[in-house]
Amino acid sequence: MATHPKETDPAIRVKALESLLTEKGLIDPKALDALVDTFEHKVGPRNGAKVVAKAWVDPAYRQRLLSDGTAAIKELGYSGLQGEDMVVLENTDEVHNVVVCTLCSCYPWPTLGLPPVWYKSAPYRARVVADPRGVLAEFGVSVPETTEVRVWDTTAELRYLVLPKRPEGTDGLSESQLADLVTRDSMIGVGVVAAP
Amino acid sequence: MNGIHDLGGMHGLGPIDREENEPVFHEPWEGRAFGLFAATVVFAGYSVDELRHEIEKMGHAEYLQHSYYEHWLVAFEEVLNKRGFVTHEERLARIAELEKGVH
Amino acid sequence: MLLTPEIVPGLVAAGASARIAAHVAPRFRAGDRVRIRNLNPATHTRLPRYLRGKIGIVEVDYGVFVFPDTHAHGLGEKPQHCYSVRFTGRELWGPAAPERDTLRADLFDDYMDPA
Repeated sequence: MATHPKETDPAIRVKALESLLTEKGLIDPKALDALVDTFEHKVGPRNGAKVVAKAWVDPAYRQRLLSDGTAAIKELGYSGLQGEDMVVLENTDEVHNVVVCTLCSCYPWPTLGLPPVWYKSAPYRARVVADPRGVLAEFGVSVPETTEVRVWDTTAELRYLVLPKRPEGTDGLSESQLADLVTRDSMIGVGVVAAP
Repeated sequence: MNGIHDLGGMHGLGPIDREENEPVFHEPWEGRAFGLFAATVVFAGYSVDELRHEIEKMGHAEYLQHSYYEHWLVAFEEVLNKRGFVTHEERLARIAELEKGVH
Repeated sequence: MLLTPEIVPGLVAAGASARIAAHVAPRFRAGDRVRIRNLNPATHTRLPRYLRGKIGIVEVDYGVFVFPDTHAHGLGEKPQHCYSVRFTGRELWGPAAPERDTLRADLFDDYMDPA
């Protein structure tokens, strides 16, 4: 049998590791349950959406967010694993930011949760650095030629969150109504936030 | 290393497939694999850098053909064997038992 | 240490930063022009191939971090500065790249020389 029997159902391979580690007293399966529950139910892009909405309505918060992303995000209670050192990138009429990790799958977990499969996939990682406008067009985002497309390749341990542009015609909306408009893709930079 | 993981600028990898309303984990085993990361780091003391390098050493065809959490699985299997926590032999024996329905 | 469910929330909320409180002098400052080294180690590196040999401008010094190239192999943390470095699309991909477009990557002292 090969060292990594890839013809074997991965569920069985995981169960083999988990059962052996449990019998040896090295892991507690209930801790795995807690981790799964945390990332399925407590951490996800709704966290990032609240950060974005607050930045849209509170200019002082926006300033703090852009100058020290980690601290400003922590003000809302989001911190930790894969968000230890955060940088927030503001999309404007001059610059459209888009984030990738060409070498693996680095992603800001506390604000966006775990990454979607396409973000971790070879085609996205290969293409968005060399042809960002082509990739953005596939996501339905058209950036004017007069706007700089700025790709961020997450090659070290900084993690990036895009602060998308606030859509026109949303002056009357509350912070929580605004948060409902913010999509995960807009905070990666492959989407824009649409007016309701 | 100049491995298949270093993808920036490559052509010919096909379309970017997106999924509407994608679940956090597609199968329960993906969640268990995810949980094993934090659970094994705290007792085995390896770094995320070491884990990444184990993934980078995968065969190129295998890397492209297998999913993200299968990459993690290969890395756990290697690191835990290297540190002596779960040897390849005992793990493969357990897999054989599980496939026969012993556990 | 055994990870128990009681520890999980604290672990997730605290994380483990790769930033180090070590006093290491930076080799570069914001605004410096740098050439990325043509390194091809068979070991772990966070320097992508498409940046090797290219010219960029240091934008931000993010401070001192663990160096993954040594850390992955148990060869120590080798603390050093990590910078956001700006490249033009044309420097990386040639004259067909749109004139305004740029790329930023996070690169360590050991990946760069003054240009």
